[in-house]
Amino acid sequence: MIYIGAEVIVSPLGDNAEDNWQALAENRSGIALVPAVGFNKEDIHLAKIAGLNGRLRFQQLVIKALIGVKACIDDSILTSDRTIVLISSTKGALDDNLHDQFGETCAAVMQQFNLAHLPLVISNACISGVLTLNVAGNMVEAGQYEHVIVIGCDVASDFVLYGFQSLFAVSDKPCAPFDAARNGITLGEGCGAALVSASESVFKNTPLQLLTGTSANDANHISGPSRTGEGLVRSVSRTMQKHGIGTKEIDFICAHGTGTVFNDEMEAIAFDRLSLPDKPLNSLKGYFGHTLGAAGLIETAVCMQMMRNGMLIKSLGYRNEGTSRPLNIILENEPKSLRTILKTASGFGGGNASLMIRDL
Amino acid sequence: MKVITAYCNLRADECLVNGEVVSRRDAGSDDSWFKQIYKQQELAYPKFYKMDVLSQAGYLASELIKRATPGISETYADDEIALVFANASSSAETDRRFIQSYEGGGSPSPSLFVYTLPNIVLGEIAILNKWYGENMFAVLPKFVPGFYLDYGGILFASGSRALLGGWLEVTAGGTDVLLFMVEEQESGMEFNEANLLHLSQRVAAY
Repeated sequence: MIYIGAEVIVSPLGDNAEDNWQALAENRSGIALVPAVGFNKEDIHLAKIAGLNGRLRFQQLVIKALIGVKACIDDSILTSDRTIVLISSTKGALDDNLHDQFGETCAAVMQQFNLAHLPLVISNACISGVLTLNVAGNMVEAGQYEHVIVIGCDVASDFVLYGFQSLFAVSDKPCAPFDAARNGITLGEGCGAALVSASESVFKNTPLQLLTGTSANDANHISGPSRTGEGLVRSVSRTMQKHGIGTKEIDFICAHGTGTVFNDEMEAIAFDRLSLPDKPLNSLKGYFGHTLGAAGLIETAVCMQMMRNGMLIKSLGYRNEGTSRPLNIILENEPKSLRTILKTASGFGGGNASLMIRDL
Repeated sequence: MKVITAYCNLRADECLVNGEVVSRRDAGSDDSWFKQIYKQQELAYPKFYKMDVLSQAGYLASELIKRATPGISETYADDEIALVFANASSSAETDRRFIQSYEGGGSPSPSLFVYTLPNIVLGEIAILNKWYGENMFAVLPKFVPGFYLDYGGILFASGSRALLGGWLEVTAGGTDVLLFMVEEQESGMEFNEANLLHLSQRVAAY
């Protein structure tokens, strides 16, 4: 069995999973209107972490998250040569060093925590986080490592904001995933982390079970979602088949739900094709914004908190049905025992990835 | 056993397939080096001209590998060829050009922005070939055979039947590209550390 636990979330809503959970239970969002940050000095909604400024923002967040994980596990495994750290990110420390966006952070983390191996960086656009958790599970399953710490992190930058503005993809209000009036993404920054391990005893709190999934490319367009959801359908169906899990056993879907017209429509088509449209579903982008390479980690960590607390969290920003295939979007927080959940992600480059978490 | 059935190197002045030079750079040409290869090899995919250098490199090398392994697309189902690529500098060259587009009076260029992710090259190859398989892009300090061997092993154990591996370092300072196809065969160049290191360092012998 592959265990996952020791989840950490660093976001505008708090520095640990518990504070973030408290905010989610109260449906508080980390998104706020930031004056004059747009390319033409527009006010833009962003989910920015207060006080995170200047150089080495990426490195600071990664280190903070790893300190958080360390406090939740038998910390002697950190320095073991049977342990590796994986970092999931799109743009890393781009603002610090354009030509080497990850090297300085990896070296600093290795030195500060006395790691046996240099952290490995995986950069697959918005599926990076889910993909990296799957890589971690696969490494443990294959016996290549016993423990894999996965950290997903991206920080806000002019670069990324101007880019999404140039694509006319930034929402003029806080993003509203799956809503009829959605009109784009809200960018966020943050860091999520968790330990994936072959050993149950290294976790201070009871871990959950990671059911690793697969990824699939849409083979359709580098920056536009598939019209048929083909890649997402293939990824999810293979992930479920791999573990012999049928649609009946899925209790909840944490979708990608960016808030763009085409992405959310693609996901609705895919979940319909997968015979999963009646499953309670949310997008967490209304709380954290789109944190890119961190999203898969932050959102999986929230799923784990939802399972631990037995609570469905409302899909913030959603009001009216806005996809051609209806979905069962969570309108209000609701106590519910969650045995098996599905997490999905889709992104630029046509990538789709999925995984499942199950309670022990 | 797992065998490297074809490979392609792109260097500063030479393009090699299975160790043989197939294109040489003409220093007097007005075309970029990658455009020279595209023309010399008589490739026809107009989207090539829209791509950034990383995607152009991946496109060229993957097309030349396909030419050297005829029937590869028919041999495997559309989701059985996994793509595992890496480099050291992510999409830094295109990132720099995107920043230039908006610094100094211009507007951010959407056509550059969509290439400011290193995994876009995987998407381009998947789109061209209609390959729906596993994709992964890692950023490593240098070419490390163990990365491909370890993750390739995992993919082969979980349903992938062929692997297109790649190291794509294309910066203002140089071009260092190696793509290689790995398949199950009874004999040939084994997919192992020594052979990968050898291929990554291969330069024309003359």
